[in-house]
Amino acid sequence: MPSTRNRLILKTAAATLVLAGLAAAITGFVVLRAGWYDTTATSQHLQPVYTVLELGMRYSVRNHSSEVKVPPLGAPQQVLRGAAVYSAQCAQCHGGPGFAQSKIGQSMQPVPGPLVDASARWQPRELYWITKHGIKMSGMPAWQFHLSEADLWAVVSFMGVLPALSARDYARVTAGANGPAAPATGAAR
Amino acid sequence: MKARFLFCALALLAGCQGKAPANSVRGDPERGRLALAQHACRACHMIPGLTGPETHVGRSLAGLAERRFIAGSLPNNQDSLVRWIRNPQSVDPRTAMPNLGVSERDALDMSAWLLTAKE
Repeated sequence: MPSTRNRLILKTAAATLVLAGLAAAITGFVVLRAGWYDTTATSQHLQPVYTVLELGMRYSVRNHSSEVKVPPLGAPQQVLRGAAVYSAQCAQCHGGPGFAQSKIGQSMQPVPGPLVDASARWQPRELYWITKHGIKMSGMPAWQFHLSEADLWAVVSFMGVLPALSARDYARVTAGANGPAAPATGAAR
Repeated sequence: MKARFLFCALALLAGCQGKAPANSVRGDPERGRLALAQHACRACHMIPGLTGPETHVGRSLAGLAERRFIAGSLPNNQDSLVRWIRNPQSVDPRTAMPNLGVSERDALDMSAWLLTAKE
């Protein structure tokens, strides 16, 4: 049995914790209910908040994609198919060689970055995971129900060659993108 | 009257900081900061006062006012910067920086922020 003095200390500590928690909850509720938080896409996160969220996303993707089996990547046919998918679905928000994202992509918050350095920042299995499942609250949609498995990997494959593509190369490999079948010229490196 | 005196005192104090390029810069820097964010400049460039990822796709725009040249060949002044922002290909046809369709006013305000922003 603790002494009277120690019991008093414990009681005081417990009461302090409860009161502090209560004060925090009330403050949180007031801020929420008064609408003081600014949800506009013209206001930015504070840099530390942004950095922590981005770090959390990195760790989450790394963890969840660790079991993904990566098929062979880089065949010319696959890269061409990836170019077609990229130009149809990705370019409007991420831009590409020689051109920026469209207006819709420019003003998103967080802003979707260029993918020219994506293959340097991420493993192929991580790029596949992000493309397939999207990123919550970031504007990045999940493509699982809109692209076939083969197309998901094709676009990952294409991101691998993206850093080496000039604007002219890109225009060439995406030229037949809207046709029924992109010809396999093998030009996509 | 009092406000004018205060303004003069502040201007004098600002003069003590050494160089004061901010005085000659046209445009609205604060609006420029928003325009930079809304044209996705931060997607490729690190920019003072704008939140985003660590990226090195384009070069950092910190301390832009200190540079002698921009875009490799243009002497660094506000008119050059506006021209570069509005139509990079007219300066360097092979640049990776895309034309973002920035208006004259937006480009002027952007340049005002870039030339006056502190780390």
